[in-house]
Amino acid sequence: MTRPTAKEIKAMADVAGVPVSTEVAERIANSIGPAFEGFAAVAGTLPFDLEPATFIVVQEAAKMTNKETTSKKAAQ
Amino acid sequence: MNTEPALMSLTSVAKAIAEKSVSSREATQSCLDRIAQWQPRLNAFMAIEAEAALAAADAADGALAKGNQRGVLHGVPLAHKDMYYEAGKVVTCGSKIRRDFVATTTSTALQRLKDAGTIRLGSLQMAEFAYGPTGHNSHYGPVHNPWAIDRITGGSSSGSGSAVAARLTFAALGSDTGGSIRMPAHFCGVTGLKTTYGRISRAGAMPLSQSLDTVGPLARSAEDCALLLGLMAGADPEDPTAVAGPVPDYMAATREPIRGLTVGVPSAFYVDDLDPEVARILDETVAVLKREGADIVQVELPDQRQLTAACQLVLAVEAAAFHKRWLIERPQDYGPQVLMRLQNGLAIPGVTYLETMRWRGPALSAHLAAVAGVDAVIAPVAPVAAPTIAESDVGNSPDAESVIQRLTRFTRPINYLGLPSLSIPAGFTRGGLPVGMQLIGRSFDEAMLLRIGAALQRATDFHERVPKFA
Repeated sequence: MTRPTAKEIKAMADVAGVPVSTEVAERIANSIGPAFEGFAAVAGTLPFDLEPATFIVVQEAAKMTNKETTSKKAAQ
Repeated sequence: MNTEPALMSLTSVAKAIAEKSVSSREATQSCLDRIAQWQPRLNAFMAIEAEAALAAADAADGALAKGNQRGVLHGVPLAHKDMYYEAGKVVTCGSKIRRDFVATTTSTALQRLKDAGTIRLGSLQMAEFAYGPTGHNSHYGPVHNPWAIDRITGGSSSGSGSAVAARLTFAALGSDTGGSIRMPAHFCGVTGLKTTYGRISRAGAMPLSQSLDTVGPLARSAEDCALLLGLMAGADPEDPTAVAGPVPDYMAATREPIRGLTVGVPSAFYVDDLDPEVARILDETVAVLKREGADIVQVELPDQRQLTAACQLVLAVEAAAFHKRWLIERPQDYGPQVLMRLQNGLAIPGVTYLETMRWRGPALSAHLAAVAGVDAVIAPVAPVAAPTIAESDVGNSPDAESVIQRLTRFTRPINYLGLPSLSIPAGFTRGGLPVGMQLIGRSFDEAMLLRIGAALQRATDFHERVPKFA
């Protein structure tokens, strides 16, 4: 994944209905670019059968683990 | 008892009012006296409602005299970040756009505190639309740190951190989307609890990022945070993301010893490039935990830079979406930095946004696996103590985002993972600035963090120190 260029950002902002100047687009590119780079290792690698709600599933599983851990520590 | 009721903790003043050793009027007047003294210096309050507060205090005292105690916080005066809707009240959200916005509903968190008997002192300053980590606000001026007036408070719950530290309110609600409770807690020397995503209803709280926003308290101790969390947590039909199920007894957790618990210290990232004084205080805090009987182990966490990046992408898109109408109709009414940051969201493709959301489950799973053997992880909240207001006033300059990233790099990964984190005062720099450490827990395990935080606070007195009005 590559960081978007100012030219691409200007086009995207136009499509979003919030047009920005070339100067602002350049500033956005510099500002958000590092986040694209930070996420680059993950982008395009996720398995097919994965949806955002998996997060809630993992959270719920953690909650159950907490209960078990608490019970064990209390019993010690 | 302290001669100034305002210097008491939340739990102490609530008990004193219930036992009638302090009246609600005395507690309220004491806070108002301190507000009158400090507000010109701190700019911590957005609105001060002295007459209404005293009238409410008198009513609370009258009810108590008749044997009618509304709840465990009967007659306790509080003020909160000005983004919690209260029907009939102006809620500015720290913005020009909502300068005259009158809420028609009351937020669930606020209502639950009101149901427990609290009364309203006014509202507290904040970063514009909660989108700023320093405490600057181009519409209402910066909030000042009571430990050093030329220093930032941190944000976005800037007024909450400043007011609790100066003992102007016994506690305050904040919100944490990228560090907005923990940063002011760290910089101002108070205790702040970022709750698990879903622990407290966000209904009636101004949104910034629906996937990251959390509600939580800033207070003087872990015990005070436990009391407030217990009152606010739980399911809410107005917010389907607020989880159902019984709410743990958080106050009981604060009385538990920590002998035999295991606390992890990250081997990297959170210990890299620290200011030497922050590094010293981390070491000292770990030493206290050891003395109290905790086992200390090193933990290797997954790459936190990826989490930080993912958090930034999610936040940018969701904030831009919430603000799109005003970005079109009223861009001139935003402060320069907030406008700049909202515009960042326009640059992120939908597919990228959804990839960050899809990765959240596996990322949380990997984190939980990495901390499987520990009860909590300890880490600094920020790599430095409070910088000056002048040096952090970067507005919308080209290096603004890098300054923001530097301050928030230890807090954002936690928001992306939706984890709870308790920031506690852990020491002071040689220059007298407070430094906080965060205890990071497993999802919905706030009780463990409060247990460890309370044990640390029994062993130290950093949370009891009060800034002097020099």
